[in-house]
Amino acid sequence: MGVQKRDTLSIILSIIKYTVLVAGAVIMILPFVDMFIGALRTPAERLARPPIYWPRTPEWSNYGRAFTELPMLRWYINSIFVTCVITFIQLLTSSMAGFAIAKYEFKGKKFLFNSVLAAQMFPFFLFLIPLFFLMRFWPLAGGNNLLGLGGTGFLGTYTALIIPFMITWYGVFLMRQFMMSIPTALMEAARIDGASEFRIYTHIVLPLVKPALATLGIFVFIYHWNEFIWTMTITRTANELQTLPVGIYLLRGAYQDAQGESLYQAALAISVVPLIILFLALQRFYVRGLATSGIKG
Amino acid sequence: MATEPLRDRAIVPKQQRRRLQQKDWAPYVFLSPMIFFFVVFFALPIGFALYLTFTRWNPLSTPKFVGLKNYTYLLTQDPSFYLTLKNTFVFAFGTALIGIPLALIIAFVFTLSRGKPLWRSIYWLPMVTNVVAIAYIWQFILDGTYGLVNQLLSAVGIVGPQWLTDPQSAMIAVIMVAIWTGLGQNMLLFSAGLEGIDETFYEAARIDGANTLEIFWNVTLPLLRPTILFVSITSFIAGMGSFTLILVLTEGGPIQSTNVTALYMYQMAFQDLRMGRASAMAFILFVIIFIITLIQLRIFRRGGIEEY
Repeated sequence: MGVQKRDTLSIILSIIKYTVLVAGAVIMILPFVDMFIGALRTPAERLARPPIYWPRTPEWSNYGRAFTELPMLRWYINSIFVTCVITFIQLLTSSMAGFAIAKYEFKGKKFLFNSVLAAQMFPFFLFLIPLFFLMRFWPLAGGNNLLGLGGTGFLGTYTALIIPFMITWYGVFLMRQFMMSIPTALMEAARIDGASEFRIYTHIVLPLVKPALATLGIFVFIYHWNEFIWTMTITRTANELQTLPVGIYLLRGAYQDAQGESLYQAALAISVVPLIILFLALQRFYVRGLATSGIKG
Repeated sequence: MATEPLRDRAIVPKQQRRRLQQKDWAPYVFLSPMIFFFVVFFALPIGFALYLTFTRWNPLSTPKFVGLKNYTYLLTQDPSFYLTLKNTFVFAFGTALIGIPLALIIAFVFTLSRGKPLWRSIYWLPMVTNVVAIAYIWQFILDGTYGLVNQLLSAVGIVGPQWLTDPQSAMIAVIMVAIWTGLGQNMLLFSAGLEGIDETFYEAARIDGANTLEIFWNVTLPLLRPTILFVSITSFIAGMGSFTLILVLTEGGPIQSTNVTALYMYQMAFQDLRMGRASAMAFILFVIIFIITLIQLRIFRRGGIEEY
């Protein structure tokens, strides 16, 4: 009797469990589904009263038109270029710095590591104004003189989209954590064999932290592919530099009629899909990275 | 190493000596890019921004020193500053207060379920989605007349509010979207914490005849307290400084009802071109966030979580 009661209860709890999970999943997916369906609606279906939710004649051409009517390809190329360059540079700078902090003894090490930790506490909104003018008044760039006057500096160039993001404090911290576990004996052995410090970094340390590099790389890639506020501030008037989210955002005003809304939703879908695919393919690294970064810190 | 006595050096073979010296300066070479970027893209901008807070400057003129006027103006005269500050707190509190229990429940059932990669992929979708897509997806869904939400509500006989275009409900709508966006992230942190709980605790509870609910209340929650604190406070702090979602969703409207301080700062800088006043506002908000962070650290210490 008691055992039977126990069983019924566990079945009920199991039902509740999956109901919660499924209900949540539906709420997570539904907005995306709404977007994909919306992109297939014809203007007539949007103008009908009440409007027709399920498109009767799916307008698949909206996805193609997003590429022909919007500078989607240009935005794609910009997004890929800027994101890849930033990811590569950040992996390089943070693995170098993380290596130095993890594996060497030197003056000011503790101070430096604490600075890296403290730097993470500064929110990005604090940097928007000064970084903007740092780009604008960068000496000897874009027609500027030595004092940074007379020209436009880095504004209107890819440099302005990349250069403020050449280091990630979080990345330095993450690399340092991973590199702490590399045995010092391995480095000593290489030294005795006559390897230079740089060779130790490239041939011993980097291969050993490949999984960590993959994790950090995915983080950085996703973050900067989706980066919005800085790119928007810098490229508001420089159309040819805009990335996907920024380009789509700044054209919002032109697509608010029945004709444009479907096209707009198609464009949004196209901006989202590549990252979803990338994320699904590399989920394994992502899981590990988030798990180590969040709690174990 | 650098202060090694000379006589020791004399007996070390020449090649090895060179190596030792290289080991001394190598870390600085490895650190040089970071130090360069720290100075140029971190310290310098912070210093410049701090200087700007004491000036009046639209970028067309030269900065004019005005002392503390920007601060006194914001704190005593500005018509919207306190309103945006209140909105900031409402947004950050609301997101944390509703979002975290939700994430905790989902994480709990998630760790007990099969097919984890599938559930994870679904709940993490917003984490890889750009803010513009998130905002516009929801604008369509929350449309007062034709949006999916109100159509579903009217199917069960409820007249839904105008959501984003009604000052009464706009903040609620914005918080809902923010919770949806952050759910996966918080759930992930919780499930990492849940997986860290030793299985023997659960076994002991089961032997004592506890059911799932009792285990959740009496075993999981107490053991998860450090994680709950960590997630609550980091998500609150993130909420205090976030504004891009609101910028794209509502631009702070209607009638300032969703305008948060960081967004107000952004508009003041890049629309009104009042760089000095906007910088002062950024610093005030930063100081508030900083104080909350310090309180957080104290709570953690008292909670016996030394590693934070």
